[in-house]
Amino acid sequence: MPILSLYLSRILGNKILLKNGEVLGKLKDIGVSTELTHPIAISMLVKTKSGVKEYKWENIKITKKFGQYELMCTEPIEANGIKDVLYLSKNVLDKQIIDVNGRKVVRVNDIRLALLDKGLFAIAVDIGVEGILRRLGLAKPLKRILKRFGKTISSKFILWEDIETITRARENIMLSKTYHKLATLHPSDLADIIEDLDFKAGIDIFSSLEHGRAADVLEEMETDTQRSILNELPVSKAADILEEMPADEVADILDDLNEEKVEELLNEMENNASLEVRELMEYPEYAVGSLMTTDFVAFENTLSVEEAIKELRLLKPDEDIIYYIYIVDESNRLLGAVTLRDLVISEPNTLLNEIMNKDIIYTRDMDSIKSLIKTVTKYNLVAIPVVDEDMKLLGTVLINDIIYELMRSGKTYARR
Amino acid sequence: MTKRKTFLTNLLIFLSILGPGIITGSVDNDAGGITTYSVAGATYGYKLLWTLIPSFIVLIVIQEMNARMGVVTGKGLADLIRENFGVRVTFFIFLGLLIADIGNTATEFAGVAGSMEIFGISKYIMVPLAALAVWFLIVKGNYTVAEKVFLIFSVFLLSYVISALLSHPDWKAVGQSIIKPTMSFNTDYLSMVIGIVGTTIAPWMQFYMQSSVIEKGIKIDDYKYTIWDVVIGCIATVVVAFFIIVACASTLNVNGIKINEAKDAAMALKPLAGELASGVFAFGLFIASIFSAAILPVATAFYICEAFGFEAGIDKRLDEAPEFYTLFTAIIIIAVAIILIPHAPLITITIWTQVLNGILLPVVLISMMLLVNNKEIMGKYVNNPLKNVIGWSTTIILIGLTAVLMFFSFA
Repeated sequence: MPILSLYLSRILGNKILLKNGEVLGKLKDIGVSTELTHPIAISMLVKTKSGVKEYKWENIKITKKFGQYELMCTEPIEANGIKDVLYLSKNVLDKQIIDVNGRKVVRVNDIRLALLDKGLFAIAVDIGVEGILRRLGLAKPLKRILKRFGKTISSKFILWEDIETITRARENIMLSKTYHKLATLHPSDLADIIEDLDFKAGIDIFSSLEHGRAADVLEEMETDTQRSILNELPVSKAADILEEMPADEVADILDDLNEEKVEELLNEMENNASLEVRELMEYPEYAVGSLMTTDFVAFENTLSVEEAIKELRLLKPDEDIIYYIYIVDESNRLLGAVTLRDLVISEPNTLLNEIMNKDIIYTRDMDSIKSLIKTVTKYNLVAIPVVDEDMKLLGTVLINDIIYELMRSGKTYARR
Repeated sequence: MTKRKTFLTNLLIFLSILGPGIITGSVDNDAGGITTYSVAGATYGYKLLWTLIPSFIVLIVIQEMNARMGVVTGKGLADLIRENFGVRVTFFIFLGLLIADIGNTATEFAGVAGSMEIFGISKYIMVPLAALAVWFLIVKGNYTVAEKVFLIFSVFLLSYVISALLSHPDWKAVGQSIIKPTMSFNTDYLSMVIGIVGTTIAPWMQFYMQSSVIEKGIKIDDYKYTIWDVVIGCIATVVVAFFIIVACASTLNVNGIKINEAKDAAMALKPLAGELASGVFAFGLFIASIFSAAILPVATAFYICEAFGFEAGIDKRLDEAPEFYTLFTAIIIIAVAIILIPHAPLITITIWTQVLNGILLPVVLISMMLLVNNKEIMGKYVNNPLKNVIGWSTTIILIGLTAVLMFFSFA
């Protein structure tokens, strides 16, 4: 049998003939397997005189006659409730899907199928204008007219392996390997996609992520979406996700929720995590304290370089906070700072006390963010330590957070 | 700490959810609506005030369904239609909607032009300026900003109340007309009745209402507050309509002045109710027109793109969402051009726009009724029998009225 490539829209609604020339019914939908990258047709819905029936996709022959497709079923096998089926018309056609490579949400205008020896496969989705026109019955005549002017209608396809369909749990389909293709995306892209979907589908996808990843994605979202997601998730799950996030980000997000919800979430979170968040949330909006992160690396001045490096290997801090290491005395008062470079190039048994930079620039937690920005730009800092009135080290502000803050409220600062 | 919600927290939640219903209610009183009410008041005096009661009911029933669908599904009406009725139905609805909305937008800019004439400003200055302002508000603003501007606009619409009070209405006659409705069975009167009820429900509004509920991210737990938003929005619509009719009835009708347009009403008010009343009336018309001129084009572009899977959204760059920006800008430009062409057949355009609205309305309403009763989509939030009776009869009556109105406009 030769390879035949055809569109779903061209065979849906076609009559299915039996061997004796009788009509079984009209093809209503094709069900494909869900576990493969190239899903194969395994079932079909047929509109018969006695209602819609489900048959196995077996003994089916597709031939092209006079430009139309003819379907023939030599031996129909009725089936009921085949498991792990994705119905192409019901679940994919006209629906939103995720283009994993293009990292965006698109709508399916048609589906391209390939008829091979092994069976009928779904190979790509059509998201272009041509797909819409084909289904309106306008594609061929329009193409003919445009051809005279030397133009074509652009068609846009996405291969099946590059898409992720969005199906609901209650439609009892395949949620086992949920959205595994999305695992490859950057959290920021995933956040955009979830924002583009209707929020029910967005929540479905978000809920399927493991906590650490969910936290990364949540961090990248717009405030509005963060709020509606946290409101929608069960409290225990939301709390688990928040625990994975830096305390300052959590404080920022919670600032926008109503008090009752905040209290619920904080109570559900682990004590030390929620305590940090609570402290950060105490700060007024204009103060440095509201912007700082409590994730930082601080060592006592009596440590040696070797001990410090050993300690770093245990802590495994994130790349943006490992660069500056703050030096404190036994009562956590800020004395100085060393850079990662200082540590690496110094002799192992040197004490931190000897190599630290004592002329450190710092800011107080109750200083205004405006003055903080001035200081940071004046001295070209990448991060700045935050201390209280007694010089006790509380946290640090990373340039990243400053830039974000500036972008978020750029106009406010310009006016002040 | 007590978990029970106090009156204050209830109020706060309500205030945070407020918006979609009220804005939709206010957009409803656009240039076309104000014209209808003014003409009704000038021609029939207080006689037609009773029609606002059925209008109110129709509005609440339809908008409640929209809000419920938005909250339950999280999807816009355009999405639901595309996903459940396929591309063909969607294509024809949106082709119709696009053409009708270009006409509607033109009507709004005509309102801007008319209201500014009262203040002696040329339309060749004001209409392009208004179009630019609208363009920037939508392109540069976000939903929160736009919503705030729109809510302020809604408050300004209350200027009609002032303008009505300044015209010293005969309150006894007002009360009588509501309690004891009178019916005349001539075609002019009937078509006016239908016009008033019909102007409250426009096809594109259903799409707008549902999307703004979603845009706000309202969830099902807050649905009871959304109902109140809808009800208050409907009250706002009817109150403004009421005072427009009263203002025109107590001045123009009493003095036997006939008008064709909302701006005529503002003009005619001057010698009768004073410069202030006239100015306030014109100001209300201006606000209403620019309000709807801002929402219509962007809403239309948005639904079309959503239904066909083009990138859409005012937070996207031009090269990211070319179809969206092209549509949005094209609707404004065409609408403005229609208004600025000297001797453009404005009345013909208005009539054809209304005809198109009339053809679309049944399609949209029936789609809505089918969707809201679909268990797979709405789960346990499908219409209950009572809502279905009200919903279907409203749909059938509206379709009937629109058919009659279209018949009259050609007879």
